[in-house]
Amino acid sequence: MNSFAEINDKLIESTIEIFTGMVMMEISVLGEPLTELGSLKKSITGMVGLAGTRKGVLAVHFPRQVALDVTSNFLGLEVSEVNEDVQDAIGEIANMLGGNLKTILSDRGRDIQLSLPSTISGDEYSFSSQAEVDQVILPFQAPSGVFYVEVELEH
Amino acid sequence: MAKNVLLVDDSSTMRKIISRSLRQAGLDFGEIYEAGDGQEALAVLEKESVDIVLSDINMPNMNGIEFLREKANRPGIKDIPVFMISTETGDDIIGEAKSLGAVGALKKPFTPDKVNEVLGPLM
Repeated sequence: MNSFAEINDKLIESTIEIFTGMVMMEISVLGEPLTELGSLKKSITGMVGLAGTRKGVLAVHFPRQVALDVTSNFLGLEVSEVNEDVQDAIGEIANMLGGNLKTILSDRGRDIQLSLPSTISGDEYSFSSQAEVDQVILPFQAPSGVFYVEVELEH
Repeated sequence: MAKNVLLVDDSSTMRKIISRSLRQAGLDFGEIYEAGDGQEALAVLEKESVDIVLSDINMPNMNGIEFLREKANRPGIKDIPVFMISTETGDDIIGEAKSLGAVGALKKPFTPDKVNEVLGPLM
């Protein structure tokens, strides 16, 4: 059983690797992990679910401007509104992070299944689980704002 | 001679990034075809002249493992090499992909240098 401290360290490493290596954006960890995140305003969230021996969800919450900048860097062209490209790009970030989380939790890969990524967006919404979960939220500073990587794992 | 490549991934963003990485890696390739899942990939392979397939695993409709299994049963296309590019890198899944004919695997995220290192010998 992995501790959350171990999961945190590896997810931070994975997030920075994805952003520097593929998004071509410099980011940094912003303070200590959080255990609660209030309502998200003018944001887009990408998420993937985990099923099998570990059940839960990995989500990444971006303010709209950060999501637009991530997509613009990803695609190498200017994106100025939340469209299918933005949803696809943010879903793919969640997918890569979910794949890394799965690798952290399961070395061989068959005992945990990863869902296809999905996204939600809106002017104001909150993100929470109805199940009893262990939860951690990692804040990151991007050039145009702060985004969060959140993991919820059922006990 | 330049190789024709088929990119199979349900993310259009990822298809663009892989395509850009191939160019940035300086690899010699001809046409780049795209498919959003295994079913679309099979249709492209039956119609176009493709030399190598770069495929995701976790996709809707027909995933990468199902694609490999179906492709292995089609005489006209079964020998076209498939290289997996996926977040799914567990030994069991990659082992199954290789047992179905995959020639290698590259983990997402990747850099153009990594693309060059692992795909260069195939191109």
